[in-house]
Amino acid sequence: MREKREKRDKRDKKKFKRFQARTCRFERMGVELVDWKDVATLQRLSTGQSKILARKRSGTSALFQRKVKEAIKRARFMALIPYEGS
Amino acid sequence: MYPYEAMFLVDPVKHGEDAAGTEKVVSALLEKHGAKVTRFEKWDDRKLAYDIKGHKRGIYLLALFEMPGANLNALRGDCELNETILRQLILRLDTDIPTYLEQCAKYQEKTREELESRRAARREDEEREGEEGLLDDFASVQE
Repeated sequence: MREKREKRDKRDKKKFKRFQARTCRFERMGVELVDWKDVATLQRLSTGQSKILARKRSGTSALFQRKVKEAIKRARFMALIPYEGS
Repeated sequence: MYPYEAMFLVDPVKHGEDAAGTEKVVSALLEKHGAKVTRFEKWDDRKLAYDIKGHKRGIYLLALFEMPGANLNALRGDCELNETILRQLILRLDTDIPTYLEQCAKYQEKTREELESRRAARREDEEREGEEGLLDDFASVQE
């Protein structure tokens, strides 16, 4: 019984870790722009199917989310990252 | 004169035959429209995320230049007609070119730092978790 509860607690701890309150990574970094040529960062801001991550999930601020959107769309146009799929 | 950033996707087959020639095609186009190029760099041969005009690979050329705004449409039209250039993206910059370069360099450095700190934090987490696991084991043995 106790083992079960401990296991569940551990699982919950892992589960809720993902939903911790986060600050915008770009504001933390103190940068002015989101570089559309930086493929690695843009891929970290999109899902496996290449959808743009919601602000809720990535923690990006409204200002930078708009910049991220623009950057991802530019990179897609130049075939640096895919429009869909991976 | 406005500052622009442009990226050209070049046919890799033609580039393979005559590397200097294809680069010259692009720089000649820029010069033709009165662009003052401050930076011109070539990226490595890359796999494209999707096929463009039947090509699976491509070569990217990145140029930073100043050009009179009136010539922009003419430059775009010439790029469309050119067979070597598969695709182009011409953006007007909000700031002047030196500031933009500075911002890009800062961005690169900061993203690298961020990645490293994230990795360090993850490693720390794993270590702590490992210790906790050991403590748990110890407690169960004591019982």
